[in-house]
Amino acid sequence: MVHLLRRQERYLLLIAGGYLLTGAVILYPDISAVNALIAGLTGLSVLTAFLLVSVFWQASCYYGDGFLLPVTAVLVATGLIFLFRLDPAAGLRQLVWLAAGLAALVLTTRLLADMRFLSDYKYIYALAGAVFLILPIFFGVERGGSRSWLDFGIFQLQPSEFVKILVILFLAGFLAENRAILAVGSKSLGFLALPGPQEWGPLLAMWGVSLILLIFQNDLGTALIYYGAFLAMIYVATARFFYVLSGAGLFLGGALASYFLFEHVRMRIEVWLNPWRFLDTAGYQVTQSLFALGSGGMAGAGLGQGYPGFIPAVHTDFIFAAVGEEMGLLGGIGIILLFVSFVFLGIRIALRARDDFAALLAAGLTSLLGLQAFVIIGGVTRLLPLTGVTLPFISYGGSSLVANFILLGLLLNVSHEAGKKI
Amino acid sequence: MRQNILKVWYLLLGCFLALVFYLSYLQVGWGPALAAHQRNPRLAEYEAKIKRGTIYDAKGVVLAETGFAGDKRIYPRGADFAQVVGFVSGRYGRTGLESAYDRYLLGKDDLGKFKNTFDRLLGKEQTGNDLVLTLDADLQKAAFAMLDGYRGAVVVLDPRSGAVRVLASAPAFDPNRLDDNWPRLLENEAKPLLNRAVQGAYPPGSTFKLVTAAGALVNLPGVAERTFNCPGYLAVEGYKLNDTAVHGEVYFEEALAVSCNTTFAALGLELGTADFYQTARSFGLGKEPPLELAVRTSTLALPGRLKGTELAGSAIGQGEVLVTPLQMALATAGIANRGIIMRPYLVEKVRSASGELLQQAAPQPWLTATTPPAAGVIREGMKAAVQYGTARAAAVPGVAVAGKTGSAQNPHGKTHAWFVGFAPAEEPQLVVAVVLENAGAGGAVAAPLAAGLLKRALGVR
Repeated sequence: MVHLLRRQERYLLLIAGGYLLTGAVILYPDISAVNALIAGLTGLSVLTAFLLVSVFWQASCYYGDGFLLPVTAVLVATGLIFLFRLDPAAGLRQLVWLAAGLAALVLTTRLLADMRFLSDYKYIYALAGAVFLILPIFFGVERGGSRSWLDFGIFQLQPSEFVKILVILFLAGFLAENRAILAVGSKSLGFLALPGPQEWGPLLAMWGVSLILLIFQNDLGTALIYYGAFLAMIYVATARFFYVLSGAGLFLGGALASYFLFEHVRMRIEVWLNPWRFLDTAGYQVTQSLFALGSGGMAGAGLGQGYPGFIPAVHTDFIFAAVGEEMGLLGGIGIILLFVSFVFLGIRIALRARDDFAALLAAGLTSLLGLQAFVIIGGVTRLLPLTGVTLPFISYGGSSLVANFILLGLLLNVSHEAGKKI
Repeated sequence: MRQNILKVWYLLLGCFLALVFYLSYLQVGWGPALAAHQRNPRLAEYEAKIKRGTIYDAKGVVLAETGFAGDKRIYPRGADFAQVVGFVSGRYGRTGLESAYDRYLLGKDDLGKFKNTFDRLLGKEQTGNDLVLTLDADLQKAAFAMLDGYRGAVVVLDPRSGAVRVLASAPAFDPNRLDDNWPRLLENEAKPLLNRAVQGAYPPGSTFKLVTAAGALVNLPGVAERTFNCPGYLAVEGYKLNDTAVHGEVYFEEALAVSCNTTFAALGLELGTADFYQTARSFGLGKEPPLELAVRTSTLALPGRLKGTELAGSAIGQGEVLVTPLQMALATAGIANRGIIMRPYLVEKVRSASGELLQQAAPQPWLTATTPPAAGVIREGMKAAVQYGTARAAAVPGVAVAGKTGSAQNPHGKTHAWFVGFAPAEEPQLVVAVVLENAGAGGAVAAPLAAGLLKRALGVR
């Protein structure tokens, strides 16, 4: 059984590899021969690395979903192609991070494959998460306006990328344990049944965590994603729209207050409403992104033929604008469909999960990744106010890439558990 | 819990679907405008790689060309087309048709992008598309020569199609020498960078009586047969509106020919706010003419204030009425073309460097201004104005000209001299609108200028 699953996976990975090599070849006329050689060899070694992961899973009788890794591989390939096109040095660094990410994936699927015990340590995750989040406030360095980085000399780490997984693990454990009481409520307010403060507590704590991110780290995007995933999970656990409404109300209240309290939040909203007024200042980045997307049109300028270099931070948060300029609307929709596929597969895993904890974990991780993709693509295209988060698996960024591979590993573990017994 | 998970899936799917729809609108619907946005830094990069297309007049005279990709743009006709064709400059921006048609001139339309990708791979020169305009370089040059020394504008168009033949604004500037002149162009209080023909806002004075007349003919039955008594003034709400002369007993056509303020102010009041306002709108006031360049929308007082003296004043083109020369040309074209105003246009065709036709202008109606009978009566009045009335100086030997003058009062000194008209009166081929700022009486300065231009355009010796 397992060899059929993994063979099919490798077949799909070969297609992803073909995609990556095509990208490398198309870039050829525009970069030097040495770089072209590097690009070609890189493509082959990346493909080999992905194939080896699949071979390893086959050898270790791993039943994790066979479509997620190929989908991820195409996303990663797109990221690599564009990073080499935009900034070859960043592309090379991303390769190192990719190796680390694949190693993290293998370790996650190996060590945490029996994920039953994970739900026992939920308060440890909460504590560790809180510590990791607070660290940058005191020891962090500021980058791109967000104070959410820890400096380790040779590399920098963004703890909030890893904390997001701890948050989902904690919530999955907590909600699986308390979902009955949360759904029914322990106090009654006339016709409306309300849970007591013990159950409200975590909700408020999450709100607090999001506000810490928002206020002290100036990281609006991450706060939004944490909170959105949290609301999705609490809805999955309780089916009570009341939580979602009051949670959304709390968040809107917080956002509104920070609009009036903090100049940078107000500026963001104003730039969102009318970026052209701030074309030379705060709106420069998003208007350049709109120019890039508009110039791309339907089919795009062609790989290497556009001018995404005008957009600041194009290799991290704004990489989708570069994709839209050079691969056009068709390429952009392609990327969106890949994320839709990822989310679809994640939801399918959640539906097939064997118990509440596993289902909540899968649903939470999937919502997290889906929301992150939606929030940054929406920000870059001005559908939403701009918030600086990475486009999962595509943007340059080590913490983000490694964390997302761990997320992928956990998701696969849920499907492995459901699949192996059949 | 299954149901809840499915709902989360629908929500996320909905988010991504919204993104797909919005992105489609952004990249395909809004994309061309963004690509050609004058602040898009890509334009300069394209300029360096692609031989920008050539712009021709209707007879094939070159108005703008580029030798090789990245070379300086050359404007062989100098100042004649400074505002309408505009200029492209890395330093001073992009204006006129050069900016409006950037996408085509740089070959960034869908077909051009495709072709240029292959040309690049084959190592061939990448080229933009050429424009053929409706403008006539010789007529434009003649108009500029006549405008010399004035501030003002001339518009000539074909009322049958809407094709614009002349769009001149004075003073102009030499687009080949922006580097030498730029600071002076910005400081010059005559504003040479302004395209007065489409952006200038002037009170139309008596030329606006064409609109009032049309309103009266359509809404007041029998008005064409009535006679009016002009004692040289009209009392409105205790104010006395003075006329230029005591015209005595006048017929409708005669009132138009001698430009009797008393008659038309009274007709405006008789029409009433609603009908007068509606007539003005049907002639295009309050609407942006769909030209390829940005046109200032011509305006008048809103119905709420369009009463009493404001209504009487507006009926004779004073009050709060402000029009562009293009707008007056279009209103006149409505009379000339039996009530129908055609969409004005400047670009006849777009074609690729190898000569393939990519776009061809197709004349189409813009507005129905008035009825054919009303247009006929007004035409007779305008003919009479040229035969014995205020517009005698617009007469061209051997050709029946229909015209109307205006001397618009304004706060800046002498009256603006206006003339609008068309010829030949029975089978109109050309409409002319002339405005000369603070130059005096329309019949004395604007009408002879129009006559000179019509003579030249119609080939009269």
